[in-house]
Amino acid sequence: MHALVVVAHPNHDSFTMRIQHAATAGLRRGGHTVTVLDLYAMGFQPAMTLTERAAYHSAEPICDPLVALSVTAIQEADMLVFVYPTWWSTLPAILKGWLEKCMVPGVAFVFDENQRIRPGLNKIRHIVGISSYGSPHHYVKFINDNGRRTLLRALRMNTGIRTRRSWLAFYAVDASTLEQRSAFIRRVEQRMAKV
Amino acid sequence: MNTLVVFCHPDPASFAAAVRDSVVQSLYAAGHQIRHRDLYAERFDPVLSAQERAAHFEDPTTKPEIAVHADDLRWCESLVLIYPTWWSGQPAMLKGWIDRVWIQGVAWELPAGATRLTPLLRNIRRITAVTTHGSSKLINALEGEAGKRVAFRSLRVICHPRCRTRWIALYNIDRATDQQRQRFLARATRAVAK
Repeated sequence: MHALVVVAHPNHDSFTMRIQHAATAGLRRGGHTVTVLDLYAMGFQPAMTLTERAAYHSAEPICDPLVALSVTAIQEADMLVFVYPTWWSTLPAILKGWLEKCMVPGVAFVFDENQRIRPGLNKIRHIVGISSYGSPHHYVKFINDNGRRTLLRALRMNTGIRTRRSWLAFYAVDASTLEQRSAFIRRVEQRMAKV
Repeated sequence: MNTLVVFCHPDPASFAAAVRDSVVQSLYAAGHQIRHRDLYAERFDPVLSAQERAAHFEDPTTKPEIAVHADDLRWCESLVLIYPTWWSGQPAMLKGWIDRVWIQGVAWELPAGATRLTPLLRNIRRITAVTTHGSSKLINALEGEAGKRVAFRSLRVICHPRCRTRWIALYNIDRATDQQRQRFLARATRAVAK
């Protein structure tokens, strides 16, 4: 399979980036090909502009070259892998904006003749999320795991019915030891080699 | 009540902007003190930078660029968020305002040795979200209403322990008639005055 790995963290030597490297290495070891989009390194602008909003329902909703590049990568992929830190129980703004600007009509979904929404991500066979959380597991469950829901439910509704979902989470990162973080990175590598 | 209205929509001629105008007017008429932030109009940068991330546990006075927003949060007793729901949550612009402004020393503290955050926004006694959804209530329920949970759980736990919440949402806006939109606008306008 061809995997698109989308990573969102401002620091290139962060835990999230190390997770992304492990995920990419694991996927390659498993025989998959990988494209990585590092949203911060690309300088992705997440706020949908007035021009983009006006073009949203037109035949050409894509106005930003970084969005065009991302959409090409989405359309080539069989697997989407998201790697990010959970902030305020959900996606960092840069990743949320990437969804808003790239997953537009004609890409993530299409309208049928009755103006009903139909899935557009039919090529995607697997959605994977890998995230670190400041909070412990029970607290994440109490608040609701909103980033996970956005990716594994809202985005998943736009794929084929057989698309698999996987979630790898590292909780209570602020209180964790180096050893625990390293173990998680190994787990990510091993898991991604087997998807 | 001191009321902070945070508005997020790129189009000043949008339905969301009309709702905002009407809501603000209604709040004034009801005698509330108002501060209004239009994130797009002020070209707020929603991207939390590498420097900000590195200074995550620093004192907020080292971040003058968000000082006015931090002051708004400390000042308000009622927070009104007006935005369109995109991909089941707040638009990136509004999420970025949360990421960058609700920071250590403004919204919460983590005292040395503590494992739980100390809430700092006890002054906020009410959170109101006024939002529109393209899809139906059923679809949003299946998707898990992420935006509602972010506002009423994740943000609310940092506020007053008895902080009240108010969800004013128009579902299926893409298929809504003019009449339904007007009814929603009237409902939002009435609700915030109470």
